[in-house]
Amino acid sequence: EKCGHISLSAPIVRLGDPVTASCTVSQSCSHLEPEPQILWKLGAELLQHRGKQQTQPDGSQQSVITLPSLNSTHTFLHCYLNWSNSLQLLDQAELWAGHPPAMPYNLSCLMNLTTNSLTCQWEPGADTHLPTNFTLKSFKSRGDCQTKEDPIKDCVPADGQSYCSIPRKHLLLYQNMVIWVQAENALGTSLSPQLCLDPMDVVKLEPPTLSALDPNSEVARPRPDCLWLRWEPWKPSFYMNQKCELRYRPQLGEASWAQVGPLPSRTTRYELCGLRAATAYALQMRCIRLHLPGDWSSWSPSLELQTT
Amino acid sequence: PPSVSLPHSFMLKSSEQARRVQAEAMVMQEKLCATHRLCHPEELALLGHSLGIPWASLRSCSSRDLQLLGCLRQLQAGLMLYQGLLQALAGISPALSSSVDLLRLDVADFATTVWQQMEDLGVAPAAQPTLGTVPAFTSAFQRQAGGVLVASHLQDFLELALRALRYLSRP
Repeated sequence: EKCGHISLSAPIVRLGDPVTASCTVSQSCSHLEPEPQILWKLGAELLQHRGKQQTQPDGSQQSVITLPSLNSTHTFLHCYLNWSNSLQLLDQAELWAGHPPAMPYNLSCLMNLTTNSLTCQWEPGADTHLPTNFTLKSFKSRGDCQTKEDPIKDCVPADGQSYCSIPRKHLLLYQNMVIWVQAENALGTSLSPQLCLDPMDVVKLEPPTLSALDPNSEVARPRPDCLWLRWEPWKPSFYMNQKCELRYRPQLGEASWAQVGPLPSRTTRYELCGLRAATAYALQMRCIRLHLPGDWSSWSPSLELQTT
Repeated sequence: PPSVSLPHSFMLKSSEQARRVQAEAMVMQEKLCATHRLCHPEELALLGHSLGIPWASLRSCSSRDLQLLGCLRQLQAGLMLYQGLLQALAGISPALSSSVDLLRLDVADFATTVWQQMEDLGVAPAAQPTLGTVPAFTSAFQRQAGGVLVASHLQDFLELALRALRYLSRP
């Protein structure tokens, strides 16, 4: 039989809420002294004269204490017996205080065409000081996401991470799905706003690959104000109709970018004229899905070419 | 049913979806050639016949005699057939399994796209076609050779589908 035992109104409370605890000292343990004094410690602080001690019908001693406002997020409550002028620890209880989860926000998703997975990220909201689990939840839908079709397996992020990747086998491409984030801890649950999206409409498009063409193999007498180049789209997105933009500027000096577009997403030969002769240029290109929703890719790394 | 027309968004998305599946079937074919030296589907016609590999028809999608509803149904049924065939190729070989899985998922999603469009138009058959009976490949070679044939015919099938979609997209 335990010598002393602490019971708590709740081991986890909201920060600043009260906590009531009782410590019951069994008769077998307290028989040495008729009314042994039960003392409490919160963390390192001895709580003088704070417990209301009574003898129970079964002869055990019980002290009840109320902490009006628990302000530390994680601490220990100890029950001591004052025995022969020495404090004897009988039991201890772990106390947590924090907040219910805030609503996760800024949920956004990107479809990765290399891994064929949909990665969503979010802002977790204010720290709750408590172990809080985040789960990315979703279901297949159609049209404007008013109907719930098949559920999709929950995506549980690694500890402390605010992103999760739904693997290809759980996705239905070219149809809308509903996605949201659930945050849960001992004090409650909260849900982010829902997104309604087709994974293929949030593809993370990579820029095309620019490459130089040898002017002499292109034309008999290359014009000094022209450059020749070719490009092709990022391979995993080959099947997507895209339009692109080309920008260029002299490498030296602070000239701003000049831009050409829209351009097709692949060409084996492009002639860029109207440039300064004998000048080194930096060229970059970006693309976006054509006729269907999508975001611009980032600009490609610079291709550096020199006019003759 | 009254004259049915397909939404432009369906045309755009299903065309992209067809090109995506086509590209993946080509990847599968390239891997079968590189890994197992099976590079010529035309040499496997007899084997395909003996294995009883069924082929999907898109007769209603030919521009000469295009029937929209018939074409959608044949497209959806054909995609279900290829989904079943790809499923039967499970365990084809370690080098191929991820490609076959991805292709099967994309074919299945494309079938769903077409089926849901038919439902939205109110012309979907009462019951969705099942995957159908597919051959039981009994050796690694049969699965790999079957894989070459399936990938090859799927690309032809999708080329016809793309042509029909382009034809239907014309104003």
